[in-house]
Parts: sequence; C-alpha cells; structure tokens
Amino acid sequence: MSGANGTRDFDPATRTRGDRVVVIVALLLLATLYGLFWRGDGHGAEAVVLVDGKRWARLNLFQDQELRVPGARGESLIRVQDGQVRFVASPCTTQQCVHQGWLSQGGEVAVCLPNRVSVRILADDPRFDAINF
Amino acid sequence: MVSIPTPPRIIQPTRDDRLVAAFAALAITVHIAESALPSPFPGVKPGLANVVTLLVMCRFGWRMAAWVSLLRVLLGSVLIGTFLSPAFFLSAAGALASIGVLGGIHWANRHLGGWAVGPLGLGIAAALAHMSGQFWVAFALFVPHAGLLPVYPLLMTLAAGLGVVSGLLTRGVLARLNSVSTATRPADG
Repeated sequence: MSGANGTRDFDPATRTRGDRVVVIVALLLLATLYGLFWRGDGHGAEAVVLVDGKRWARLNLFQDQELRVPGARGESLIRVQDGQVRFVASPCTTQQCVHQGWLSQGGEVAVCLPNRVSVRILADDPRFDAINF
Repeated sequence: MVSIPTPPRIIQPTRDDRLVAAFAALAITVHIAESALPSPFPGVKPGLANVVTLLVMCRFGWRMAAWVSLLRVLLGSVLIGTFLSPAFFLSAAGALASIGVLGGIHWANRHLGGWAVGPLGLGIAAALAHMSGQFWVAFALFVPHAGLLPVYPLLMTLAAGLGVVSGLLTRGVLARLNSVSTATRPADG
C-alpha cells in the first residue's frame, strides 16, 4: 500500500500520454453508446392485427397490401403502404379507427371497438406507453 | 454514572487516519456546497467533490481515495438528509463504480510506465464510471423503462465533459501542491 509516508510527487506534465489514451477510449465509448442506444427513430417494421383480442395477422409494413378483416359487425378494410398502415373503411358508425389515419411509429395503435378490430405497430422500443382518447 | 471499564489499549489514529478524516471533511464540504447548486438534469453535478478524491489518489494512493470517497457519500448524505433515499443509492452506486475503475487504473498504472494515466484521464474515467453506476442502478431499481435508455449516451457525454473539468482542476491543484511541497521540503521532514 502506498500510504502517507509513500507520498509520491506526481508531476502532472509527465502523465499526458496515458491521458490521451483515456480520451480516445472515452470518445470511442461514447460513439458506441450513441450507436447502441440511438439506433433508428422508432419507426416500426411490423404491425399486428387483432380481432376480438386474438392475433389475426402479422403485417410487414414494407409490403404494400390491402386486407379485409372480418370483425364482429362486418369487414374492416386495412391498407399497408410505404411502411405505414391505416384503416381505410370500417362498418362502425363513429369511424374513429379511420380518422386515426396512418400509423408508422412503434407502439402506435388504431382500434375499432364496435368491430373488435385493432392494429398495432410492433417495436422493441415503443414511442408511446399508452394512448388515451 | 455507570463506570465503564477502561479498554486495555486506546486505539491511536494513525497519520493516514487523520489525513483520510481531513480530506473526507474537505470533500464533504464541497459535496454539500455543490448540492445547493441548481442542476439542469437530475443526476448531473459538476463533480467538484470528486476533485478531492482524485487529488488524494494521486498523492496518497487508491486506498485512501476510496476511504475519502465512501466517507463523503455516507456522511454527505447524512448531513444533506438524503441518507437511504434514492439519491443516496444513486450516489453510492456512482461512487463505488468510480472507485472500482480508479482502482483498476491504479493497478494498471504500475505496469504502464510512461503510458501511466494522469489526473485528466483519471477524471474522465471516474466521471464516466460514476455516471454509469448511477444510471444503471436508477434503471434497475427505480425506472426500469426502455424509454430511459436513449438518455444514457447524452448523460455520458455530459459526464465526460465534467470529467475533463475535474481532471484539469486536479492537474492544476497538483501542480501547485507539488511546487509548494518542493519549496518546503526541508521543513516538513
């Protein structure tokens, strides 16, 4: 142990090469951290369609398509286009699901309660915890 | 009064003990002064108290620095009134992580020769370790939410900047201490 009687004079000017190494390591570490934790902008790549609470389909958002989803009241029309998904038509009266518009961010949801159909964007890191209306 | 049997031998504080106590007192003073400063981010502090830890490490070695740092966290929190509160655990986690990393560098320095790490490098490493310890304990115990993770690189960037500041301060103080101690060397025997 280097105790009080082992006091070493420490000329700061002689200890700069090691410091430079630490600075470089720290910069690399920071770059790695940004790379790891700032990956992507939260844009989801997949969506899931639920009917009556059960998974009805899993959609690739980059494969354009239109789906007719049989719900409790009739068919909901869901369109996938350019990495987004939306309700296009619904047999419900309020059309809340259609007015929800395009969804693209992880965690976004559109729900048609009367028809028991919902669409949710899947993501590891959803942008929203919950959405209230 | 109840008569207490006198212990056979009174424990004498050594010179190291007194030095630890004095530096811990200094560190606690800085720690408390610093806790009065407003902070733009929770968990971000200038880390001026860490300058004392770095100084002690450079002059007296890692063991004494560890004592000073841990005493500061413990007694500082008792005096501020955050003992056993979340802030205390974050602070303790940060101090332990930083002391651990400093210990690693201290050990490595013996084998590094001309590449040994000086105060600036120690300051940066200690600050980054402190922030990491604090962040991951906060994440594990208090806010285990993925939404917190993108903040981590930002906090680490701030920590690195503040580490540079504390490292340069330590370097400046050391340079002055060394010039004083060389000047008064014959006297302090």
